[in-house]
Amino acid sequence: MIKQNKKTISYYVLLVVLLFNALVAVFPFVYMAVMSLTQKDMLDLDFSNTTFSFINYFKVIDGFNLLVNLRNSIIVTVSSCLLNAIICSMAAYAFAKKEFPFRDKIFGLYLATLMIPGQVTMIPVFVIIKNLGLMNTYPALILPIINAFGVFLIRQFMVSVPDDLLDAARIDGCGENRIFISIVIPLVKPVLVSLTIFTFITSWNDFLWPLIIASKPAMKTLTLAIASLKGSYSTNYGLVMAGSTFAFLPPFILYIFLQKQFVEGIALSGTKG
Amino acid sequence: MKNRNDAVMGYLYILPSFILICVFAIIPIFMNVYYSFTQFNVIQSAQWIGLENYSRMLKDPYIVASLKNTFVFTLITVPLQSILALLLAAVLAGQFRNKMGEAIKSAMFIPVIASAVLVGTLWSIFLEPNGLMNTILSFFHIPTINWLGGKTSSLLSVSMATVWKNVGYFLVIYYAGIMDIPKELYEASQVDGASKIQQFFHITVPSLSSVTYLIVTLGTIWSFQIFDMVFTMTNGGPGMSTVTLVLTIYNAAFKSFNMGYAASIALVMFVIVIVLQALQRKFLGEGRDDK
Repeated sequence: MIKQNKKTISYYVLLVVLLFNALVAVFPFVYMAVMSLTQKDMLDLDFSNTTFSFINYFKVIDGFNLLVNLRNSIIVTVSSCLLNAIICSMAAYAFAKKEFPFRDKIFGLYLATLMIPGQVTMIPVFVIIKNLGLMNTYPALILPIINAFGVFLIRQFMVSVPDDLLDAARIDGCGENRIFISIVIPLVKPVLVSLTIFTFITSWNDFLWPLIIASKPAMKTLTLAIASLKGSYSTNYGLVMAGSTFAFLPPFILYIFLQKQFVEGIALSGTKG
Repeated sequence: MKNRNDAVMGYLYILPSFILICVFAIIPIFMNVYYSFTQFNVIQSAQWIGLENYSRMLKDPYIVASLKNTFVFTLITVPLQSILALLLAAVLAGQFRNKMGEAIKSAMFIPVIASAVLVGTLWSIFLEPNGLMNTILSFFHIPTINWLGGKTSSLLSVSMATVWKNVGYFLVIYYAGIMDIPKELYEASQVDGASKIQQFFHITVPSLSSVTYLIVTLGTIWSFQIFDMVFTMTNGGPGMSTVTLVLTIYNAAFKSFNMGYAASIALVMFVIVIVLQALQRKFLGEGRDDK
């Protein structure tokens, strides 16, 4: 066989096909961003008589109180990422490195809960939240996001931390909590990053749960708020697009900077099933 | 001494997650089973009515429509997104292991990070009768299509938008799977004079069987849970042509405040999802190497 260094015709044909697919994936977002700068009431590709400005952003942010929604989204997302990482790695450490009665049974129970889709339990969880008087509160938006997936994921990495390392630290007089914080946690940092990105996207994009639990406008998250934009502004496309772009920017900017971790973190959910 | 300390520490470390999992997953499942046998509107306490919710379900046209739509939606999206993702991943991993390929992969992942609400909103605007899609099609002299207004086309449109959002995700998983296939297999078959297309069908596809099962079952479970997209694009309409299981659960529980009935539908959905996951485990039991 002759080594194919030259790019053949088929390479260029495939390249065109791939580029077309990439264009189809990206174009709606580009169009959204461009439209958000215009006052057009027609959805076409004719921008010849259009003036571009940021006025829609000011209008939609003021008129729809999007800054309140942004604040809610940030509070909910950051807290759920932090809590999920802390609570799950604690449990993962116990399941991986501690001996206690019923350990494997309890872990099996954790795994079993992974098979329960959130939509199946949303009615009782709603009733519980209501009875606890937590409707329209941050804890109601944050706490149900934490689930056993993180425990399962981190545990797999903690199992491979050598026991000798932990014993050596114990001999040096290191307390149990310090072993966990200063030795085990740094060793599983990559998986914590992946889990956090996964939690971030799940929590930022979450819709059904906030829809049920946050009925007060002041408690709505950004994703919840933009769902009602279209109903309120119907044909004022510029405003809808400005609001949508505004909601998309935070995850998009993070994606630009942390591309590799994003792809890994989100692909991890494949193991959740 | 050490063992007792270990046990106490173990319990303390799992305590926070244990409480949350009990309150938000384990107890609710039992509550849901109980509610499914009751009439319950949250304000008054639940009244036991036996199997009434279940017999009502059999006669409810919404249930029939949501089951049918959810199945049709799954049958459209899962094969389409899996095949598309496989083909794109094979091409990318085969001839585009370069900057260009990376850029294309990154671009195709963008719809994955966007919320389904955003994607649904965008597509519902693009698919309006005088929307972008029809404008673009008119360049090719294709007559205007009422994408979201027709009974058949609305379900197709929601499926299309879903595939558009999901392809990048499955592409990444397939791509990683192809990277794990030993290079020697391809080199040996090249010596035997196999073409790229033969290699694809005789090496790539069989080597990826466990990945394919993962992608198919994961896609199926996602499709069964479809809500955000229909909520923002059609809200079930026109008529009942795009109502889905979760949408019907939501409407029964939070529009009609018939929590008991909603719980019974949720339980039926749970059983379906459990069966799907059992199938997943059956097929993935062996070939799957957990990371």
